Amino acid sequence: MNVIETHNLYKYYGIKKVLDDLNLEVPEGVIFGYLGPNGAGKTTTIRILLNLAKPTKGSVLVLGENISKSRKYLRRIGYLPDVPNFYNYFTAKEYLEVLSEIIGVDKKRVEEVLEIVGLKNEKKRIGAFSRGMKQRLGIAQALLPDPKLLILDEPTSSLDPQGRKEILDLILSLRGEKTVFFSTHILSDVERICDRVGILREGRLLLNDTLDNIKKKLSRRIVKLKVDDPLRMMERVKKEDFVEEVLIKNQNSLIIKVKDLQRAGKKIPEIIVQENLSIMHFEVSEPTLEDIFFEVIS
Amino acid sequence: MILKLMKKEWKELVKTGKIYVLLFVFLFFSIGSPVIAKFTPDIIKSLASGSEMQGIIIHLPPPTWKDALLQFFKNLNQIVFIVIVIVFIGSISEEKNRGTASILLSFGVERKKWLLSKFLFQLFVTFIFVLFSYILCAYYTYFLFKEISIYSSLFATLLYLIYVFFVLSLLIFSSSLGKNTIQSAGIFFAIFIIFNLISIFPNLNEYNPMSLSSFENQWILKGVLWKDAIKNIIFTLIYSFILLFLSIIHFENEEL
Repeated sequence: MNVIETHNLYKYYGIKKVLDDLNLEVPEGVIFGYLGPNGAGKTTTIRILLNLAKPTKGSVLVLGENISKSRKYLRRIGYLPDVPNFYNYFTAKEYLEVLSEIIGVDKKRVEEVLEIVGLKNEKKRIGAFSRGMKQRLGIAQALLPDPKLLILDEPTSSLDPQGRKEILDLILSLRGEKTVFFSTHILSDVERICDRVGILREGRLLLNDTLDNIKKKLSRRIVKLKVDDPLRMMERVKKEDFVEEVLIKNQNSLIIKVKDLQRAGKKIPEIIVQENLSIMHFEVSEPTLEDIFFEVIS
Repeated sequence: MILKLMKKEWKELVKTGKIYVLLFVFLFFSIGSPVIAKFTPDIIKSLASGSEMQGIIIHLPPPTWKDALLQFFKNLNQIVFIVIVIVFIGSISEEKNRGTASILLSFGVERKKWLLSKFLFQLFVTFIFVLFSYILCAYYTYFLFKEISIYSSLFATLLYLIYVFFVLSLLIFSSSLGKNTIQSAGIFFAIFIIFNLISIFPNLNEYNPMSLSSFENQWILKGVLWKDAIKNIIFTLIYSFILLFLSIIHFENEEL
């Protein structure tokens, strides 16, 4: 069963197209990484899923409900915004107690979620919280109604490495219990915790598959190469019939997609010798999500 | 749900200390108004007896309970009004701006109920404070002047509450339209000034909520005359409900 389904979803702001025929499917129980550069339409998708914005065209099903007809599904969702803001004059406990009363959740749950995020003994007012603490409180608040689906909008983007690790560990601890829809532009975060990935660019979904499948599809065909003149190498290697595509990743690195890895293993060193180039790195590797991301969005 | 949301508003009012501002302002003017009315002639006389003003004869009629109540309503319509606007103007726009509204609404809280809870809470708090300060003012007035017309002064207070109903509807409307406190205040004062400018045309007075304050004074001075004010009251209530209705429509369709 899919917990999120969008069908031919469009969103315009004036004449600007923000979502373009988005067909997204998120199966139950996965940690779904919704990847895309800034401005790709990730937050807009989330706002539509939460009924905070309306689609221009298309339909959306969340937890089996058509969101334009009912808002009951929101009771089974937990949401963490990209920059979570709270009522600063409350302590974490007071805030969650007020919230639990409004949404009709047992107050015992407040202690539970504070325990999960490690804020149980925090007596400071929220206004004095660090970003990391606010983010953890945001997750506690999202977990408060014991939701089936957690929607987290860039939960790690503004955090230092320590804060990021804490939040990612927290999300990872929910694996198997909840479906987590997690938007980000930090590729390593997705690679670390997600089972499934959707890559969005300019409002279009370019890829939606499990991370394992994506890697399997590409793993046998990637050669990473670092030489002193990558442009010359690129021009030369492009002409070979075992080469499918060549990308320059950064200053000296080439990513060569090949059809026949065995031939590539023999021929590429030969070409380097013929062209009198210096080799700094040669690797037949599993592509990282970063490689896939750049390949897909280019 | 609305009551629970109102409870949250109450906690906010206490935690942010806004309640103490309201308490101080209402207390100050409910006790201060009769005191000022009582002692102003004495103060002026004592000033006039100073060496620089010798020879000037000032005749002032002895103050009455009416002066105390007129002073009370003057303060309610000026300083207390400003304080109410400052305390409540950002109630919706600031929550939209900061994103706290999105969080609550993402839990499935209905937008209409959220907005109405704000309005009802503000109405409840302001009504309680106005009635409380009226009782205090009436007690002090009686204490200082030994007479008061409860009938006139109570109904003049009820007239003020109808005016407050309109002001709070306009506040909710401005706050739901504005994206932050400054914008909301701009919308509020623009509409408020328009209504005040309409007062220039006497034949439109009976349709103008701003005229209610002159009725308050008239009722204190001449007694309660429902017939004169009824049209004004009805139109004020109609405007208030229209403003509330428009606020809900706008907020229901607004993207957050």
